Amino acid sequence: MAVRVNPKLIDELEYFGAQDVIKCYHCGNCSATCTHSDEVFVFPRRSMRYLQMGLKTKLETSIEPWLCYYCGQCSEQCPLGAEPGESMMSLRRWLISRYDFTGISRKFFKSTKLELLFVILIALLAGIGFLFYGFGHGDIHVYDGANAFLPSHFIHAFDLWLAAAMFLFLGMNIFRMWYFIMIKSGGVHIPWWLYIKKFYLLPWHFFTQKRYAECESKIKSKVFMPWLVHLGLMLGYVIMLVLVMIFLHRLQSGPEIDWSVHALAYLATVGLLIGTIYMVKGRIKKEQVQYQKSQGSDWIFLVLLMIIVVTGVFQHICHRLGMEMIANITYVIHLMAVVPWLLRMPFTKWAHMLYRPLAMYFAGIRKNALVLEKEGAPISQPIRQAA
Amino acid sequence: MKECKIGVYVCNCGTNIAKVVNVEEVVESLGKMDGVVVARSYKYMCSNPGQEMIVQDIKNLGLNRVVVAACSPRMHEPTFRKALENAGINPYFLEMANIREQCSWVHDDAIEATEKARVLTSAAVRRVKYHEPLEKRSVPMCPATLVLGGGVAGLAAALELGDAGQQVYLVERENRLGGNVGRVDLTAPYLDSARDLLTEFITRANQNPKITVMIQSKLVELGGYVGNFQARVEDAQGDIIELAVGSVVVCTGYKEFDASRIKSLAYGWLPNVITSFELEGMIRKGKILTKEGNVPQYVALIHCVGSRSLEYHPYCSRVCCMTALKYAHEIKSAIPKSYVSDVYIDMHAFGKGCEDFYRRSTEAKTMFLMYEKGHPPRIREAGPDDDCGMFIWVKEQLSGEEIEIPADLVVLMVGMEPREDSEAVAHLVNISRDKHGWFIESHPKLDPVATTTDGVFIAGACSSPKDIPDTVAQARAAAARILAKIAKGEIWADAVYAEVDEDLCSGCRVCNELCPYTAVEYDKVKKRSHVIYAMCKACGACVAACPSGAIKARHFTDQQIFAQIEGVLPWHSNHVS
Repeated sequence: MAVRVNPKLIDELEYFGAQDVIKCYHCGNCSATCTHSDEVFVFPRRSMRYLQMGLKTKLETSIEPWLCYYCGQCSEQCPLGAEPGESMMSLRRWLISRYDFTGISRKFFKSTKLELLFVILIALLAGIGFLFYGFGHGDIHVYDGANAFLPSHFIHAFDLWLAAAMFLFLGMNIFRMWYFIMIKSGGVHIPWWLYIKKFYLLPWHFFTQKRYAECESKIKSKVFMPWLVHLGLMLGYVIMLVLVMIFLHRLQSGPEIDWSVHALAYLATVGLLIGTIYMVKGRIKKEQVQYQKSQGSDWIFLVLLMIIVVTGVFQHICHRLGMEMIANITYVIHLMAVVPWLLRMPFTKWAHMLYRPLAMYFAGIRKNALVLEKEGAPISQPIRQAA
Repeated sequence: MKECKIGVYVCNCGTNIAKVVNVEEVVESLGKMDGVVVARSYKYMCSNPGQEMIVQDIKNLGLNRVVVAACSPRMHEPTFRKALENAGINPYFLEMANIREQCSWVHDDAIEATEKARVLTSAAVRRVKYHEPLEKRSVPMCPATLVLGGGVAGLAAALELGDAGQQVYLVERENRLGGNVGRVDLTAPYLDSARDLLTEFITRANQNPKITVMIQSKLVELGGYVGNFQARVEDAQGDIIELAVGSVVVCTGYKEFDASRIKSLAYGWLPNVITSFELEGMIRKGKILTKEGNVPQYVALIHCVGSRSLEYHPYCSRVCCMTALKYAHEIKSAIPKSYVSDVYIDMHAFGKGCEDFYRRSTEAKTMFLMYEKGHPPRIREAGPDDDCGMFIWVKEQLSGEEIEIPADLVVLMVGMEPREDSEAVAHLVNISRDKHGWFIESHPKLDPVATTTDGVFIAGACSSPKDIPDTVAQARAAAARILAKIAKGEIWADAVYAEVDEDLCSGCRVCNELCPYTAVEYDKVKKRSHVIYAMCKACGACVAACPSGAIKARHFTDQQIFAQIEGVLPWHSNHVS
């Protein structure tokens, strides 16, 4: 069955940042230079071709964009300035919008204004909500304890609701990702036990971000630093999330420092701070290929994160110094940034934090399945071809 | 006959000859032959000291015949003839023995090769005794030129000649000048208007008093020879006009491939499958529409229709790739919301400005899809639920996928092929055609506008597919060749040609049809044939065929050839040594 080309898809992908993919004439330099490209997952060239031809199903079910960590070597090698690295980036954005069943993601990528509006609206709602609760139940002059302006048991309950909403959305997206990559793409029969055999890949890649460090560059430091910063940012976030979700009351206690939680929190804060500054600097200086083409969405993420880290640190200091009212006001601002920042996660690039290790997991399974098939393992069902 | 004093000169050609042939042995043996006054060898006989050796021997020893045993006469016969002329004797008193190409280069047995060299040289010595002094002759050059075809090639040639003040007869079959370029809207890659290019040419041609434009006219007969052709042209009224011209430029161009021959493309069956020229017509009218009158959303351009295929034409038609890119631009600017697919085999963008044009086309979001040579696209009608009228099936090479391309309008980039009348034209002006029907040039690289018939030139797409710049360059090159001949004022013919002894000729006319150069003419009054020496190439066909033995080839008389044969016969060679 012949696949239908869709000349319109390339127009849509432009919204996601694929401005130059049309220039590609398929010399293959990009795939040759990429350390992650192998005999099973050939990229970026193949993805570039699918993109040019508008083979929507092929793209939707492809895993390759997630295997690219955007070191920028391909874009540097490209003789036509077709920006394969940026094209892969835009494909990741597009895939995020495809995984998202609500259609919100697509709207955000198409319009930064809309996303900004969403962020501001949620921030205002959150702000009003928290102030309303605070003035109704607590005392603006109390930061900690039962009479606190925003007591930890309330925030904790709120966190759980927020987490439930996020996991609902993300869970649906992950299900769709799994369906696209593992079922709809077809091509190979996947025995169920491979899901168990290869499961270790998920935490392994999540906590090490190993692939990022494997990107090749002539200057090793060019890869090492971004990887370290990226890892620091990611781990910082995860640690902070765990601390907030479980030990919020201890984080807020004071004025003396509770080293059992604060030691980790400081470490995480340093990771987040360095990561954010590094990325903002990179996007302003535009020296590295991967930071040269920022979308509005990227800036929203970084600015919100910056606000979150700064207000987080500031309220902590104020509370230690006994400036409870200022600490409470900062806390509200902090939450006004945190809520939209978390809520937009399933719909924006930020979701790659989960999709990337998942993709490594799925890729490992598919590769293993292919090996089994080659070795002549019985095929229990006919190989499906992608429609 | 005066006593023959022969000089024999054997060349070493560096080591080319000397490494196989024992040159000294040949010299020694030849020196003993009857009539040979001197026999010498030299490292390079064609060098200035080598030639000077011959000149001095002629002057000092009174030589009246010279034999040079060296390379092929095609290489250095003119060199040594010149040496004889410089020494004051008739250049045709020279004979060459080819002991390089026909001996040292093809043999490795030194003894046998030396014997062969000796035999070939002794044959030359025997022949040269019968050589006669010959003189070159000249014929006057008529400065007028007949240009066949009023397309861009014919116009360029006519203008070049007319601007130089020479009479031109520009004969065009159709009722307008401009040819195929006149059917085109814009030109690739700079998107200049074809009409503007032509208007200037046509206006200048019509205004030039030296250019006689004859539309709706055709050549019906061409007689005579270089410098002195008689052309009979039938004009629009059916009258025959006799023209005296010195040269002919054939600029008859091409016709487009008939796309209906390729069944899978559905041309002539699906109404919205059109040829490139039909699209040009739409663009010139200012409206690109489907047959139903709708603005097409998806337009597909299919390359190499009839070209680069073993089934139809194996050659590349050269202009279609850039023309397709031009259409992509024109369609995008006429219908900004349209999607253009370009279905090609290889993108040939070799001309000036063409690669850049290709780059700009990709940036204009033309979707390039590569199909495999020998697997032409297949076109089918779309269903009622599809948002397009047709689908084009292609095995896409860059992705490896079998794909279907949506299309509302399919444009077939039809290739070029020789016109139906190319055989008749070739026959009229006596030039040859290749296996495809294109006119053949004298030399594909070094003499691209001349033909095997002196005075008849070819320019433009009648000799092979060509774009406008190459066509114009060829036309002007042909004009330059003609102007050079006109400037000389006369045509020198070689002294070697066939002659008819009219006393012996019976007027049987066997030779008339046989001559490949139409150099034999029959005199109806005298009832005898005679050779037009300016056209004769001295091939000898008529000499061999004449039942009365009335035709003699100068420089190739029976006596000369028999003497040479005797020279190579072993009995005679043994007899000599």
